[in-house]
Order: sequence, then C-alpha cells, then structure tokens
Amino acid sequence: MSQATEESASEPSAETIREIGHDEYDPVGTFALIGLYFLILVFLWFFMYFVEFLGNDPTVVSGTAVVVALV
Amino acid sequence: MSNVYIDQFPAEAKVIRAAFYSSFLALALGGVFGIIQTLHRTDFLRFMDSVDYYTVLTAHGVFLVISFTIFFLVGIFTWAVTTSLDRGLEDIRFTWGWYSLMAIGITMTGVAILAGFTDAIDMSASVLFTFYAPLQAHPLFYLGLVLFVVGTWVAGVDWFRSWWAWKAENPDERIPLPTFMVLTTMLMWYIATLGVAAAILLFLLPWSLGLIETVNPLLTRTLFWFFGHPVVYFWLMPAYMMWYVMLPKFSGGKLFSDPLARVVFVLFLILSVPTGIHHQYLDPGIAEGFKFIAMTNTMFLLLPSLLTAFTVVASMEHGARQRGGEGYFGWLKALPWRDPVFTGMALAGLMFAAAGFSGMINAGMNINYLVHNTFWVVGHFHLTVGTAVALTFMAVTYWFLPQVTGKALWSRSVALGQVVVWFVGMTFMSNAMHRAGLLGVPRRTAEPQYEGFEFQAAVGSIGELDAQIALGGVLLTISLGMFFANVVGTALNGRSDDLPANEYAGALSGPDDAPLVLDNLKLWTAIAVVLVIFAYTFPLLSIIDRGGLFGPEVIPFPLTVESATTLGFALETAASTSFESAGEIATSALTAVMR
Ligand code: HEM
Ligand SMILES: [Cu+2]
Repeated sequence: MSQATEESASEPSAETIREIGHDEYDPVGTFALIGLYFLILVFLWFFMYFVEFLGNDPTVVSGTAVVVALV
Repeated sequence: MSNVYIDQFPAEAKVIRAAFYSSFLALALGGVFGIIQTLHRTDFLRFMDSVDYYTVLTAHGVFLVISFTIFFLVGIFTWAVTTSLDRGLEDIRFTWGWYSLMAIGITMTGVAILAGFTDAIDMSASVLFTFYAPLQAHPLFYLGLVLFVVGTWVAGVDWFRSWWAWKAENPDERIPLPTFMVLTTMLMWYIATLGVAAAILLFLLPWSLGLIETVNPLLTRTLFWFFGHPVVYFWLMPAYMMWYVMLPKFSGGKLFSDPLARVVFVLFLILSVPTGIHHQYLDPGIAEGFKFIAMTNTMFLLLPSLLTAFTVVASMEHGARQRGGEGYFGWLKALPWRDPVFTGMALAGLMFAAAGFSGMINAGMNINYLVHNTFWVVGHFHLTVGTAVALTFMAVTYWFLPQVTGKALWSRSVALGQVVVWFVGMTFMSNAMHRAGLLGVPRRTAEPQYEGFEFQAAVGSIGELDAQIALGGVLLTISLGMFFANVVGTALNGRSDDLPANEYAGALSGPDDAPLVLDNLKLWTAIAVVLVIFAYTFPLLSIIDRGGLFGPEVIPFPLTVESATTLGFALETAASTSFESAGEIATSALTAVMR
C-alpha cells in the first residue's frame, strides 16, 4: 500500500533538472500572463461598448429601483 | 504490490469504473444528439421533423450536464477521498447502493426523454434540461431525477463517513486537500439541491401526476435557478480540483499554495447559491432590487475564479521552471505539451479564461439584456461546462482509466490529437455562437431562419457563422470518436504492470500554513445558509405573494380540498404579511446604513 501520497509526489521526476523551493520561487511568469489577460479583458470591455451600444439604442435598467435602493 | 489505484483499492476501483463507464455512455449519447441538432439548426442536414428537435435538445442537455458530468465527478471524488485519506470506503455495499440509485434514476429520466421520439408509447419529456413549467414532462422524468439526486446525497454521506472515521484515528491532522475539496463541494451541493428538490417534490411531480392542477411558473423557475447556478460549480469544482491537485504534478512541479486552494473552495461554498437569480434578469415578476443583489453576489464570485487562475498558473510555472524554463513567457515552452493529460487540462483552462469574459457580460444586469436567450449564451457554456469541465474530464481520463483498470492507455498520440481537435472545434463553434448571439440569433430554436427577415451582420454573414458552427460541431464529434476509441482500446488491453503510481501533487506552501479556521466546515456551512436566506427569502415570498403558491388563483384540489386550500391560504397570508413587515425593516435598515 502506498504511503500518504504527499511525500512520494514531492520526489523529483525524470525531467526535473532543478529543485525550486518555496522561498526561491518567484512567479514572474504568472504575473506576466495574468497581466496580459487583464489587458485583453480591458480591451474587450471597450470593444463591447462599440459592438453593442453604438449600434443599438441603449439598454436601460429602469434606474429608479436601483437608485432608490442605493440612496 | 504496486502503487496503482486498482491494487490499493480494488473494490473502490470497480465502483469508479462503473461510474466512469456510465458517464461515457451519457457522453456518447449526448454527443450524437449534439451533432444532429447542430446540423439541423444550421440547415446543413435536416432528416427529422423540427418538432423532434426539442426532444433531441432535451436529451443533449440532460445527458451531458446531468449524467456525463455527475457520474464522472462521483468517480473522481471517490478516488480523491480514498487516496488522500489512504483508507477504503467504510462499506462498499453502501457505495454500490448510491451508484445504483443514480443509475436507476437517470435511466428512468432517459427513458422518459427518449420515449418522446415515438408515438407508440404515450410518454414524453421534451422539457429541456431546465424543465420550466408550463412545459410538463411525464412523471417518470421527475421521479428519475429525484432518485439520481438522492443517489448523490447518499454518495456525499459515504465520503463524510470516511472522513469521520479517519478523523477519529487522526484527531490532530489537517483534512487532506482533496478530501477537503470533496467535502466543501458536497456541502454546497446539499444546500443547492434543496431548491430543485422543492420544485420537483412540492410542485412539478404532483402537477405531472395530476394531483394539483396548476403551479406558479415563476416560483418553480426561481427554485430551479436556486439549484441551476450552483450546479455549475458542482461541475466546475471537480475540474478545479484536478487543476489544483493533478495539473501541478503533470507540469513537473507542486501546487503553489494549499491554503489558497482551501480559501477558494470555501468561497465557492459560501457564494455559489445566493446568485441564482442572475439567470432571471429578464424574468418579469422579480423586483430589480433583488436582481441587483444577485448581480453583486455574482461579481464577488469572480474572486475565487481569479484566485484559481493565479494559483493554477503559478503551479504550472513552478513545474516549468523546475524543468529548466526561463524568462517571462519562455517558461511556457518548457511545459510537457506532448502529454495529453497536461495539454488537455491546460487548453481547458485557456478556454475557461475566454469564458471569463463572456461570463462577465452575462453577469452584468443591463448588458445581459443584449445577449439573454441568444446563441451567445450557448457559446458561453460550451466554453465552461462544455470545455473547461468536459475537456478536463476527458484529459484526466487518460490518467485515471489506467489507474482504475490496471491497463495501459491504448494510444497517447490519439489522446493528444483528441484534446487538440476538441480545442480547435470548440474555438470555431463557440466563437461563431457568440457572434451569432450578438446579432440576435436565438438559442433553443430548430429553424432560426425567418422569411422576410435578415440578421444584420457588421462583419461576415449568417451563412459564414452557420458554416463555422457546423464545422466546429463536426470536429467536436470527431474528437469524441477519438476519445471513445481510446476508452474501448484501453478496456481491451491486457493488464500492465508498468503504470505510474497513484499520487497527487505536493504543495509548495502546505496545509500547515493555512489558518485552522479554514477547516471549520460547520462555520462555513452556517454562513452559506445565512447568505442564502438573505438572498432568497424576500424574492420567494414576493413571488408567492403575487402569483400564489400554486399559481395565480386559489385552485380547488380534487382530493384534499379543505386541507390544501387552507394550507395554501394560510401560507399566502403569512407570506404576504411577513413580506410586508420584512420589507419595512429592510427599507429602514437600508436607509440607516446609507446615512
Ligand atoms: C459534440 C459536441 C457538441 C456539439 C456539436 C454541441 C452542440 C450544441 C448546440 C448546437 C446547442 C444549441 C442548440 C440550441 O440552442 O438550439 C447545444 C446546446 C447545449 N449543449 Fe452542446 N454540444 C456539444 C457538446 C456539449 C457538451 C460536452 C456539453 C456539456 C458537458 C454540452 C451542453 C449543452 C447544453 C447544456 C445545451 C443547452 C440545452 C438547452 O438549451 O436546453 N454540449 N449544444
Ligand atoms: Cu449562473
């Protein structure tokens, strides 16, 4: 029966060429990727404005209910 | 003795196998219906009457999002609990009991749906997977669903029993992460399914049996979406679990943070249910204020999804860097792209990121009005459940199937091709669906072609979009064919003694860094219940107040005239008075807070 898998899983696999521990690891690539994703999202939001709103009459949630709830 | 799952837990492996095969059967059926309806809608191939389209669509929806997903996830949940607690289930007959309940239930539901194709049997259930009243199904449909859901409840009890037994022996240890994920998901599921249980048992089933004559459609709809939103997390959380505990391993690294993973699952437990009304932004009869609250809760739900994106990508990057990856983006090249399990999951995650955008559009109350019930929405959920979940499940199958059968995978290259073809096919189909939705093309329509009316496309044309949808659908069908070739090929293989060990990823920052309170399941459940009460009491009361518990008029019942009407009337009066007073309290509280 295999032991608690945590331990065995931490053994480096064949392709691992170096061990990187918690303190040496700096996920810059992750920040780069997620940052890129945010840029795309922001761009799409602007794009959405042109696709949807400029071509159509504005869609309005009848403001009062929401506004009253907020005031 | 080897470290393969089937050797560690032979009895459990058998149940998981049964669950997987049930799941794959549903996937196959659902896929066939999927391509039929794609070609019908786009008018490339119409061999059936358009009336039957809705039977096909019901079968596609129910088989894929109820049977395929849920059978698969009970399989991996069983794996997760047994593996991470390192103990077998308490009583395997109990386990077979819930599996049988689920199997019998979904068979009943499936028979009721498929009977809709023939007039020989007086039975049909072409109510689509949302079964909105006044669409009415044969009682067998609802009964089957009830049995199926009860089966999942009992499954949850099975996993809780394992945990309780383990805790008695290991009083001071943290709940292992995979088990923690299973338990939080099941708690969420118990709360969520109360809505659909109430809708079916109190209203739809008696109505379909002829015991009551009418129902309040808005009430049953709202109860459906009470369940209908969190059910998407019931599909997603197992996929997330795979991304957290398996993907780092296949990337060659470790999970970035165990505590963060726990936080994410707790947030899902708390926030999944009180958001269902965001599917009803266009329903008349629900006050805009309630919809606004649902929207706010929905936006909070973005948080755990973004946390997931961060943790999962950081774990992949850790693997890539251990494998020698460098640079801001260069590390991506060091990932094991030839491994179908890794690549399938990574592509599924990428599609989910795209779905994040269309989901934000859906979630905004006013923007939702532009896409509501259009093909956009279908495009959206083929990215979420249809790819983020389905492709993750298919990809991990390539690892799990050998574990639970003890047989080597039939072909790794076919597997790699399969996940890539799915990705390409879905890119075509889903992108075109989104664009068609923006033009106003409706969903759930057998013939969205109208005489004397043209959808106006700024770029491209309807013909071009239809062609892309059909092409995407064909690619997806081919991908499914490759998947099943691998499943069958693997089943026909002989036993192999050269399989990888059954293990999941370790964590860079382990459970000891997580605050203890995260493991306090009672606390989180209590908070979840309170939030649900906040979000739903007033909307439900106001719906009952306006439309009556069983529909607009007080209907006399054939059998229990006295009792039922009295009860209904009492409830109504109670509801309206408490709603009024509660409303007053809420208004004064709000004004007080705002000042
Ligand atoms: C071969 C692959 C697939 C194809 C060709 C396909 C095609 C389609 C099409 C064209 C529709 C829209 C029909 C309409 O609104 O008129 C649809 C609906 C739907 N699909 Fe798929 N799909 C596939 C796979 C999946 C998967 C894997 C899932 C989920 C796991 C899924 C879940 C759904 C659901 C829930 C609906 C909505 C049903 C309804 O509106 O009641 N599909 N599919
Ligand atoms: Cu939702």
